[in-house]
Amino acid sequence: MVTRSGKFALGLGLGGITLAASACGAESGTGSAVNGGCTGPDGEYLIGMSQANVAEPYREVMDSDIEKAAAEVPQFEVVFADAAQDNAKQVSDVENFLTQQIDLLIISPNEAAPLTDVVSRAYNEGVPVIVLDRKVEGNDYTSFIGGDNFEIGKAAGEYVANDLLPDGGNVAELQGLPGSTPAQERADGFREGIAGNDGIEIIAEGVGNWLREEGQSQFDAILQANEDIDVVYAHNDPMAEGAYLAAESAARADDLEFIGIDALPVPSGGIKAVMDGRLSATFVYPTGGQEAIDTAADILVDCKTNVPKEQILETQLITEENAAEVYKKKTG
Amino acid sequence: MNEKADVKEQRPTAAMVSSGNAGALSTPWYRGGGLPQGRRAWLDVLFRLQSFVGLLVVFVAAIAFSPRRNGVVLFLDPNNIANVVRAVSVIGIIAIGMTFVILIGGIDLSVGAVMGLAATGSAALLINSDYGIFATVGVILAIGLVFGAVQGWISTSLGIQAFIVTLAGLQIARGLARMWSGGQGIPIAYGDGKNLAPEGFALLNSRVINGLVPVPALIFIAVAAIGIFVLHKTKFARHVYAIGGNERAARLSGVPVARVKVAVYAIAGLLSALAGIVFAGQLNQGSPNAGIGYELNAIAAVVIGGTSLMGGSGTVVGTIAGALLLGILNNVLALNNIDANIQLLTTGIVIILAVALQSIRRRV
Repeated sequence: MVTRSGKFALGLGLGGITLAASACGAESGTGSAVNGGCTGPDGEYLIGMSQANVAEPYREVMDSDIEKAAAEVPQFEVVFADAAQDNAKQVSDVENFLTQQIDLLIISPNEAAPLTDVVSRAYNEGVPVIVLDRKVEGNDYTSFIGGDNFEIGKAAGEYVANDLLPDGGNVAELQGLPGSTPAQERADGFREGIAGNDGIEIIAEGVGNWLREEGQSQFDAILQANEDIDVVYAHNDPMAEGAYLAAESAARADDLEFIGIDALPVPSGGIKAVMDGRLSATFVYPTGGQEAIDTAADILVDCKTNVPKEQILETQLITEENAAEVYKKKTG
Repeated sequence: MNEKADVKEQRPTAAMVSSGNAGALSTPWYRGGGLPQGRRAWLDVLFRLQSFVGLLVVFVAAIAFSPRRNGVVLFLDPNNIANVVRAVSVIGIIAIGMTFVILIGGIDLSVGAVMGLAATGSAALLINSDYGIFATVGVILAIGLVFGAVQGWISTSLGIQAFIVTLAGLQIARGLARMWSGGQGIPIAYGDGKNLAPEGFALLNSRVINGLVPVPALIFIAVAAIGIFVLHKTKFARHVYAIGGNERAARLSGVPVARVKVAVYAIAGLLSALAGIVFAGQLNQGSPNAGIGYELNAIAAVVIGGTSLMGGSGTVVGTIAGALLLGILNNVLALNNIDANIQLLTTGIVIILAVALQSIRRRV
């Protein structure tokens, strides 16, 4: 009895040690002395990247863009944390980075209000902060980098007005999560984009909550109710793909043009869908990963003190002409 | 037919033997047959302290494997320790309530959702309805208490398993939270005037004593102290252990089973609501999606702390140790930049280890 139970007690101990041992495989730090201070090209810099939720493909691509860009800067080491959509976890992630004495923080916040305090704590401790995609409140950050959803929606609208339906026609819209800022801005921008062409009318609006399956079921219903749709404008590529599936099963896919937004360079993303002919066009929603590392290099390696507070990134139109080329370039 | 009836008759007897035995290890009250002697007693002590042995091992390992900067162990940095305790405070508060529930052999799946409801409600009352701090806290705690009590009452009076009732409760609390806020998170901004929360509420995301000790950690410690006191010193606790050990025997010996059960679920609801208030204050936001999956983290802390899911055996102290163990483990893995997926994996392994120890404990 004693030996058997003794073994188990030992087992717990060893278990704990093994777990911790698995933790010690990683690099423990770079040894740079000054927190967030620029020591020029000779320094070594630890950058913490706090991601809101890697399970979203867009954010996965953002992380890998940062990783690829950082590989080009020999002075940089980037460590990643994933909050799995939990604000409390993301606060802890940033705190742990601060404990590790990172030289610069990149954060794509899950939500603004809950992350504002910890971001401003980092900033006030002298750590430069680059905020990606979603903002925090106030001004306690070094630079915000992100796309402009209104401009992207507008570009989509102009593409429909000038290229797809110059003589007018009917549009069905599949919207993202109601109340979310990107959904609102992508809707408003689109309306401004088509305003120059009086012949274009939005005859149906469905809510697909950003999801492929809901895009499909919503468009099933829209197809039932409307005979004469020319273009489907979806607020993101998965919903556009869902709409395509719905049209295909109704044998109407060939009569329609589908456009989406995001253009992720992944096998399930919008660029591939354009290459395969399912979508007519998609618009790049930039991750800002490359720009974040460029900005970090400006701050840490080149000791620039005047990086812009806000960097708004341009979208890019992806059609069958450039899809294959862009995909190849982005996936390396 | 006869056979079935026989089986039904047998069941309580079997439960009486096994869980009565388990209960004897942690509670001195209705233990029959005196203290275990010699080797057994030593083993009992080891098992009773399993969560502390585990906590100690993880703590020592955390120091050993913590990254160092200029010879300083980053894990032991006072700010880092404060971060760890703050990070486990919310789960810890919920887990203390969960301990009572699991001690009676029950389960409460609604705690994370009730926490989300409370966080949303706190923000809604402070910001949209301009309630003061005390009115807000009072109303929210009352909601949690009543929500828990109603679940306990439905479960006992209709004889429905707590698992089902609280699963339904989870959905209802989430639905109510989404309705209350229109599906959106409500940011909490501070100041005097309309649609601003009183500055006092910001205390929850501040640190006192040289800016080192996070207020949520103090609340966690206070709740823990009360929990330990209640579970060691009161008649209520003896009833809780008795019901968990053997509900029928407890009923026959005059324990007001239904009342105690309702009270236990009310405690779990109350503490979940308190956790929600802390959560809202600490994150400056009340979101209806707050606390998704927290019920599982709370159950994990309770189980790692050595409380038996069969009821009747366990302590609040163990639960606190379990919560801290998970917090330290996550912290040291994060400090070493270990992949988040491996963090999930290690949590799973620790739970298995803890439950394996319990199972051994029942057999010796």
